[in-house]
Amino acid sequence: MAMSRRKRAQAFRGAQYALLVLVILLLALFANWSELTRAFFNLDAAADQFPGIITTALVNTIIYTALGFALGLGLGFVFAMMKLSSVGPYRWIATAYIEFFRGVPVLLVFIAFGFGVPLAFDLIFDTYTTAMLSLGLVGSAYIAETLRAGIQAVPPGQVEAARSLGMSPGRTTVTVVVPQAFRIILPPLTNEVVLLTKDSSLIYLLGLLQVEYELAKFGREGLNETGSLTPILLAGLAYLLITIPLGYLSRYLERRTGRKQQRGLEVEA
Amino acid sequence: MARTTLRALTLLPAFALALTAAGCAEEVGGGEDTQAGDEINLVKEGKLTTCTHTPYPPFQFEEGGEIVGFDVDLVDLVAEDLGVEQSIINMPFEGIESGEAFNTNRCDVAAAAITITEERDEVMDFSDGYFDANQALLVRKDSGIKTVADLGGKTLGVQIGTTGEEYATEHKDEHGYQIRQYEDLGLLQTAVKTGQVAAGINDNVVHFEFVKQNPDTEVTEEFETGEQYGIALRTGNGAMQAKVNEVLAAAQGDGRYEEIYEKWFGKKPETK
Repeated sequence: MAMSRRKRAQAFRGAQYALLVLVILLLALFANWSELTRAFFNLDAAADQFPGIITTALVNTIIYTALGFALGLGLGFVFAMMKLSSVGPYRWIATAYIEFFRGVPVLLVFIAFGFGVPLAFDLIFDTYTTAMLSLGLVGSAYIAETLRAGIQAVPPGQVEAARSLGMSPGRTTVTVVVPQAFRIILPPLTNEVVLLTKDSSLIYLLGLLQVEYELAKFGREGLNETGSLTPILLAGLAYLLITIPLGYLSRYLERRTGRKQQRGLEVEA
Repeated sequence: MARTTLRALTLLPAFALALTAAGCAEEVGGGEDTQAGDEINLVKEGKLTTCTHTPYPPFQFEEGGEIVGFDVDLVDLVAEDLGVEQSIINMPFEGIESGEAFNTNRCDVAAAAITITEERDEVMDFSDGYFDANQALLVRKDSGIKTVADLGGKTLGVQIGTTGEEYATEHKDEHGYQIRQYEDLGLLQTAVKTGQVAAGINDNVVHFEFVKQNPDTEVTEEFETGEQYGIALRTGNGAMQAKVNEVLAAAQGDGRYEEIYEKWFGKKPETK
């Protein structure tokens, strides 16, 4: 009985491998390799992309994302606090804000900031400021929700303990709740950075000087110049240069804060 | 169409910031009206800022990380005359064509092979015409499509915000084709080459340029629309308008225009 079940499992796994091999074989047989290499792996076109793709495009993508995330984190913290506030109007404002910016496509937010705000207020921002505002506002709505969930996930016993030691509510939040919440929300926060990195590709809508090109625009211009998809592929790989290390960084931070907390517990015990 | 969406969008941040003062958006021109001969105010000190949209060879396109082309060289003449450098902002054509680029004071002039039309003239001002253009149909060689009339039941590709799109929309019912919009010329021409659309309509010169590089495509029909390209500027910027016209006229008189024309088109301009 047990044997046959194991046999069944083995047979099932064998079938999965067979299917995988079949798919790879079919791809190898039917893909038009010469066309594919010409379209995606054109070495001349690839060489043309350097060094600009790194020195201009990748750097700008990182700058836009970092600016947006910094603003998003700051605003997100404010809105998370408002959402948890005991004051009614604060909660309503925060809810309206979060619902609005979570529900509207980033594309529209960019157009609104690129064209609407200058018209309505007669303010002209440079590209970096506009990028920071658009990405920051969208990011802050998501980050506020994440933070709120993280804060609410901290066990109530922690707050009670801190309060019984005579800490003020504000001090409790800052020194006890937020650091613990931070560890809980590290993974979703990393996710948000990745999302912002990709959303920064919409900045081309605002109109860019050549020195302001980010990866997606740079890749598209490369496509137009070379007539090959290689620059697009390279731009895609360059995004991975940002997002994959981010994942590692987040896991490392998680491990580190985890260890520290355990050590802290041991000392206290 | 595109313009109304943009207009509507200007209300978004106003809602977001719970403001009702968006009504004042109408008066914001971003700059005083000027007359010919007045001092020219530049958006950025010491630079002539030009809005354009690439790729649009041979008028403006990227080559070796530089934006170059016929229009770029012409505006360089204006910059030279003013004693400043040209600085180019690359943006979606829609943003230029709808007048938003000038309303938000992004640039002094726009040079992007822009056809002078009455509709556009309402939201911006133009220099005198500097180039004659017509619309043309780009197809694959094996398509069997000779004219727009052959497009019944098929799809015609257009580039957003262009006069070609306008032409296609006007004659849609007459010929019974569907329209598919593309954000830039490169995407439109690639769509024709790969067979996503049966044909693509755009200015004749850029299509001829494409056919030179891509022998599997051809231009089958040209429509005499009698279009003229102009350098666009903010409505009421008379000082800049007069300067651009002055430089264009001088260049056409002393052979510089001819030289630039020959550089990009490989032939002399036809004399009028």
